[in-house]
Amino acid sequence: MRDKEMEEMLTELREEYNPPPETPRDEMWSIIQARLGSEGGQVVSLETVRRSRVPPVRKTFGWAAAAAAVLVVGIGLGRFTAPVGSPATAPGPDRTATMAPSPDILRAAAVEHLVRTESLLTLVRADARAGRVEPSVGPWARGLLTQTRLLMDAEGGVDPVMSDLLEDLELVLIQIVGVANAPAGDEGRVESELHLALEGLREREVLTRIQAVVPAGPRFVGT
Amino acid sequence: MNDFELVGRARDGDQVAFKALYDANVDRVFRLCFRMVGDENLARDFTQDAFVRVWEALGQFRGDSAFSTWLHSIAVSVVLNGLRKVDRHRKRERSLEDAGFLGQLPRGAEPGVADRLKEAVDGLPEIYRTVFLMYDLEGFPHAEIAEALGVAVGTSKARLFRARELLREALGEAMREYA
Repeated sequence: MRDKEMEEMLTELREEYNPPPETPRDEMWSIIQARLGSEGGQVVSLETVRRSRVPPVRKTFGWAAAAAAVLVVGIGLGRFTAPVGSPATAPGPDRTATMAPSPDILRAAAVEHLVRTESLLTLVRADARAGRVEPSVGPWARGLLTQTRLLMDAEGGVDPVMSDLLEDLELVLIQIVGVANAPAGDEGRVESELHLALEGLREREVLTRIQAVVPAGPRFVGT
Repeated sequence: MNDFELVGRARDGDQVAFKALYDANVDRVFRLCFRMVGDENLARDFTQDAFVRVWEALGQFRGDSAFSTWLHSIAVSVVLNGLRKVDRHRKRERSLEDAGFLGQLPRGAEPGVADRLKEAVDGLPEIYRTVFLMYDLEGFPHAEIAEALGVAVGTSKARLFRARELLREALGEAMREYA
């Protein structure tokens, strides 16, 4: 092949070989922007979340709040699962405020938290199929996100399996909060945020793992 | 404001500055991604991944090279890794020698010259194809290709030479018809 022929071939290839269409600038930017996250411009990646985690000094507060969560959960459990007429069995606050939590109590709080979170995730997944998000999802997800972080930061900590699940759950909840925070009327942003949240939910098999951890039986499903 | 200043602002979390960098570079990145994968959805995904990775790695940009060069190196890495991971079944399994079968197709099934060209380029081993696409089709200079691929400039030139040689061998007969 002579140089002239090679030049002709290259000209042909420039026009015919995978000719790029017009760049979908706006569509791609909206997705990139969603991935950069709504939390102070940080990328919503697990690594970012880990880096932004509160320092150990907050663990005492974390434990106190987790203990409070345990108390609330305990009361909730007592109210919703105890047979009528049975004595209340929830632990009192004074028993947990000055000592490290027992792993069993912490795990029970985490499991109950997962039950509540499962309800939210199921709702979001169903909403996504309809291409919308219930207005109540935002505050609900923010509350669960706070509780997730408190459990993660609790002194002593939960077991590694639960810890991994809580970390992944935290990321998914951040993404759901991102959906709720999308500007009203910006359907593209909502759609891309929702896509990310569902992708995270699916890829990390969060719902399946929650169902594996949560024992079958009566559940308290509240916000 | 130059790229270095924009990078500095973006590093501090300024998404407006990052958008300016995106606007200035996205066309070239998308074109390159599309040339390499030939699929719009994949090209979009890889372009987006490249910019997100750039955002995450802004702290590592030292300014030794132009921002665009650094961005292109990340984009090429995203595409090559993405093609290997996500689309293994489309990974080029044929060597260019296999492209030789094009001259032996049964009667009635012979592709046109344009098809032969495309299949021959598709059949190039990855290291040659990438340089060929970047230099001959997208006009990247060897210095930038070398940096993107982490090789010496001489290696980039050698790979281009080899890519063209392989295409000549594979397309010799077709090109005589073409000429």
